[in-house]
Amino acid sequence: MTADAQLRGDGAVPPPAPQQRAVDGARSPVRRVLSSRVARRLLQAVGVLLLAFTAAFLLLQAMPGDALLIRFENPELGLSPEQIAELREAYGADRPLVIQFFATLGAFLVGDFGYSVQSGTPVRMLVADALPQTAVLALVSFATAVLVAFGIALASTYRRLAWIGDLLRAVPSLFVAVPVFWLGIMLIQVFSFQLGWVAVINPGPVEGLVLPVLTIAVPISAPLAQILVRSIDEVSTSPFVAVVRAKGASWSWVLWRNVLRNAMLPALTMAGILFGELIGGAVVTETVFGRTGVGRITEQAVSNQDTPVLQAVVLLAALVFVVINLVVDLVYPLLDPRLRERAHG
Amino acid sequence: MRTTAHRTAARAAALVTAAALALAACGGAGGAADSGGSGEPVTGGTLVYLDKGTFDTLYPPQAGFYPNGGLVNNVTDRLVHQNPATLELEPWLATDWEINEDATEYTFTIRDDVTFSDGAPLTAEVVAQNFDLYGLGDEDRALIVSEAVNNYASSEVVDDTHVTFHFDAPAPGFLQATATINSGILAPSTLEGAFEDFGPGNAVNVIGTGPFVITDEEIGTSVTLTAREDYDWAPASADHQGRAYVDEVQVQVTPEASVRVGALLSGQADLAREVPAQDEERVTGAGLDLFAPQTRGVNNSLSLRIGNDILADLRVRQALVAGVDRQAIVDTLFTDNYPLATSILSSEATGYIDTSEHYDYDPTRAEQLLDEAGWEVGPDGIRVKDGQVLTLTVNEALPQPRSFEVVTQISQQLREIGVDLQILRADAGTYAEAIQDADQVQIYHSMVGRADMDVIKSQFYSTNRNTLLNRDPQTDQITDPELEGLLEAVASEPEHEARIAASQAVQTYLAENAYVIPLFEEPQVFGAQPDIRGVAAESVGRPTFYGMWLDR
Repeated sequence: MTADAQLRGDGAVPPPAPQQRAVDGARSPVRRVLSSRVARRLLQAVGVLLLAFTAAFLLLQAMPGDALLIRFENPELGLSPEQIAELREAYGADRPLVIQFFATLGAFLVGDFGYSVQSGTPVRMLVADALPQTAVLALVSFATAVLVAFGIALASTYRRLAWIGDLLRAVPSLFVAVPVFWLGIMLIQVFSFQLGWVAVINPGPVEGLVLPVLTIAVPISAPLAQILVRSIDEVSTSPFVAVVRAKGASWSWVLWRNVLRNAMLPALTMAGILFGELIGGAVVTETVFGRTGVGRITEQAVSNQDTPVLQAVVLLAALVFVVINLVVDLVYPLLDPRLRERAHG
Repeated sequence: MRTTAHRTAARAAALVTAAALALAACGGAGGAADSGGSGEPVTGGTLVYLDKGTFDTLYPPQAGFYPNGGLVNNVTDRLVHQNPATLELEPWLATDWEINEDATEYTFTIRDDVTFSDGAPLTAEVVAQNFDLYGLGDEDRALIVSEAVNNYASSEVVDDTHVTFHFDAPAPGFLQATATINSGILAPSTLEGAFEDFGPGNAVNVIGTGPFVITDEEIGTSVTLTAREDYDWAPASADHQGRAYVDEVQVQVTPEASVRVGALLSGQADLAREVPAQDEERVTGAGLDLFAPQTRGVNNSLSLRIGNDILADLRVRQALVAGVDRQAIVDTLFTDNYPLATSILSSEATGYIDTSEHYDYDPTRAEQLLDEAGWEVGPDGIRVKDGQVLTLTVNEALPQPRSFEVVTQISQQLREIGVDLQILRADAGTYAEAIQDADQVQIYHSMVGRADMDVIKSQFYSTNRNTLLNRDPQTDQITDPELEGLLEAVASEPEHEARIAASQAVQTYLAENAYVIPLFEEPQVFGAQPDIRGVAAESVGRPTFYGMWLDR
């Protein structure tokens, strides 16, 4: 990361013309690069999904016990060994593993995800029911986390607030350290049970989101803020910033036009990774708040080793990861012209 | 992996919270306080009920799981009503019944004025279809046999209002079985379904004749029960006739105990199931009511697996019994709603006999017995015999209240007499396999609620719950055939007095041979707003919303 490259990439102080030209010049190659990139990435995505499916299938088989054992050999049902054997046969669990694998794969390809062994509910129905709820929760939480992260990062690097800068910089470490579970319960205790501002039982659609969103957003925002703060610090001490400042740009102009733009890249990478945290956060949050969602069905499926549900959830998670990484990859060149040049150079 | 890590973290956090709450709320709480009726019952309103878990099926034979039973109990009626106060069996959908001498033939007279909520009439034919399914099961539809129905052979529809059931062998427990939630009568349309059709997502299509109908469901979150206007066939001993008082019951799933109790205390809910023992004082302290019906079956207890080499020795088992201070467990972890067990059966169970003399805490005797059995105290205080260390494993029974704390305390107590007791906490698959192996889990923590003498057979018989692993699941070998014979007698002795004697014989046998360590009589503890009247439950603690009303 040389100052030269940054200067070239970002354009210096006005006039804006060169930068304009650079963008115009890059547009059609960008499109070309994008389409080949997209095709390649899509192919990769299918591979990743197939791998995830296979790995999940094998791992679930390798685990001790299975869903049928947990469901029907539970002593609480008091079933005799003969009855259990007949049930296993009815579920096709006595077939060779290879046949089971291809049968499941074939069914998945035509969109038949099977039934939950634990409850008999079609997995497609479970997921269709839970997905929108979790999607809203995750997106709103993520947006909130980004806002909070930017807020902390900007405030802690803002020169007029330097006197509390150290304090602000400590906030993300605090946020990272807070267990989601504890935070959720504390938020409920204070804002619902003590102050009575929001209901946890039968809340309205917006009311029901407030506390869960806060619960997830806090731990997600922390690493994001940490990375932003550090990148802003790093970029601000770069020579090109000194050059831009020397040419007479104000600090805030430099911050918004140059520093932030460069500081965004690591944060964007991190944001992609943090999606995993969102799923983890959803598991805990949805349980604490008694919400429907992918996290909740995952938690239940894991505790019952409910293979068909887990298989679908793994695939879904893999799909979302693939899509997010694809989006992050495609956004990079828009933020960093060097990546555009490398692409067609 | 990430998920597992979070689960573990969540558990750890739960423990910390529970510990903090326990510190704040030590000591006993007041006894069960049912809110009796004051003033005229009010019709109308919505009752918000918090349950710990979401139901996983509404197939009645699997209604033993409390979230399932809480719904099935209110959506279906049974042929016979078991009065929760007296445990007497009274007419309900059946106005009368006849049982032959050896209890192999039951003929029921069915009411002719009852309809299902989808309009279908209740007939003898429908009743026959119900019990053909519950008595025989249907593996192709993954619908299991009801644990409560033994020796079922076939049904015979005599006419529109009479049905006869035939049994291969005497089935004296069948009459009571027809009164349990496992025998909730379903409509023909529902009976056609497979296991899938009883699961979450399809609750509104599960049709019974009960006072409530499931009208709405959000999978994993809530179920709405709506009162049936034309309901007019409550048992004669019910506190009223006609439709249920409340218009609606909103069953809301709230897995986290602190949220459940907090929501109740802050007035966001009317009734909550499973108020943890450590929270009882908070609930009563805030002026709310506790309602703690007993489960009246096999007590919360430890089964000592006799097939294991170490536990095959009577002296070792007796030492374990004498080494556990049961009173200390009840005193430190529970409240007055959890009475100390005095037999393997609850003192409220039919056929109960006091066998507490066999369960005295006597650590000196325990040490003596272990010395006699050849277990010498090793250098680290744990006993050793022929190079083998006296290490045993007990399971953490997740459905049982404070199981981990209970077995932890027992582990500490047994350490005093030189026994190393490990605790099995594992993922469901590992757990399910381990508890079926007497060499992995030598001591099994469990309980079962059912208000019939058959319950003791359910718990210990080789082809039922088999908690002693008297039948080795690997070899199918029976360790103690004498116990098998005693249990069979309980389930097949047609004469009531003789059946009681058979049940008492089992209780005494289990005590004398130190097969079990009964801990406490397990209740279901509900917390209720003080203006909820008529809070009630069926005979083993599933809520009955029919007579509840809102005094506001």
